[in-house]
Amino acid sequence: MKLALRIVIFVFVILPHVSSFGGARHFGFIYEAPTSAPGSFELENWVTWARTTNPEHSDEVSFRHEIEIGVTDRFQASIYLADWFYENGLGHSGSTYSDSALELIYNLTNPVIDPIGLSLYQEYKVGDRLFEWESKLIAQKNLGPLILAYNATLEAVWEGEGLAEREGEFQQALGASYEISPRISVGLEFLHECVFPDWDDAERIRNVFIGPNASYRHRSWFVTVTALAQPTNTPDEPDFQLRTIFGFGF
Amino acid sequence: MKEQSLCVALFVWLFCGCQSDSYAPPPPPPVTSQMVAASVRKESDANFAMLREGRTLFVHRCIECHTLPLVWHYRTDEWPGIVSSMSHRSGLKPAEREAIVAYILAVRSQH
Repeated sequence: MKLALRIVIFVFVILPHVSSFGGARHFGFIYEAPTSAPGSFELENWVTWARTTNPEHSDEVSFRHEIEIGVTDRFQASIYLADWFYENGLGHSGSTYSDSALELIYNLTNPVIDPIGLSLYQEYKVGDRLFEWESKLIAQKNLGPLILAYNATLEAVWEGEGLAEREGEFQQALGASYEISPRISVGLEFLHECVFPDWDDAERIRNVFIGPNASYRHRSWFVTVTALAQPTNTPDEPDFQLRTIFGFGF
Repeated sequence: MKEQSLCVALFVWLFCGCQSDSYAPPPPPPVTSQMVAASVRKESDANFAMLREGRTLFVHRCIECHTLPLVWHYRTDEWPGIVSSMSHRSGLKPAEREAIVAYILAVRSQH
């Protein structure tokens, strides 16, 4: 409780006096190469609704509360205060805390003046009987009002009793976002995942997700919405996902 | 594997296909001695270092929220107010704000 109180004081009392806006997202499932301005603080809230029907019907709404901090011109750090979810399926429903995490992004090149903008991403996630390591290469090119972004992600998960269960995933994501006006962007996102249960590819699990996105930004806040459908039919993977990210700076 | 290759190929195609000037405007130009001279003629106190810093800030900070507008999209007298209105959210100090405006006006003077 004391920790929660400290977080609330930090977010609503201290931050407003020291900070600026971290930046707006154009994509829901894809990261962009630019990092936040040094000294900026931003609170981001993610809500993702996922509907799965194969093999059984369930709805899950997951939440993320994240503080993003611009450390230098090229380096930003984020703390996921809490990832938690509410699930409603056959015979069970309720909310569960999942994990907290640290995310680091270092920008190498600029997507406007360099041939391609590149950033390196590293995330460490810790939860109840869960440890996750995620590395990402972020590529982006800005062409006038068009933003093209590509992410290659390698993820390793250890979970369960004694962290004995292992799983790996390699994901590629591609997105385009077109700026209709300085405040509004619309685009498309495409995700391709290769899942390796126990670091083995015997099951040949491949998932594809595709769908539109829209983003609106105004003063010190933004909202981004992405809806993804799964053209493949992989068991236990959502048929449909809708993610909303709402961010605001102080 | 086929889908992965398709994904990469699509990105390369989009990237290369849009490189043509007919689709995308050129990126903000590097600072030249002509720009500095033009700024001096307009009695601005901008120098080479200030304009170079202005360009760096323009291409790094502004794209955190939106893509870069064409510098001739707004009038000369509109730019200081536009940059000023977004300076807080992008964490720009007054000197940095002035550097961005000086760079934009210097680029405009070349057209």
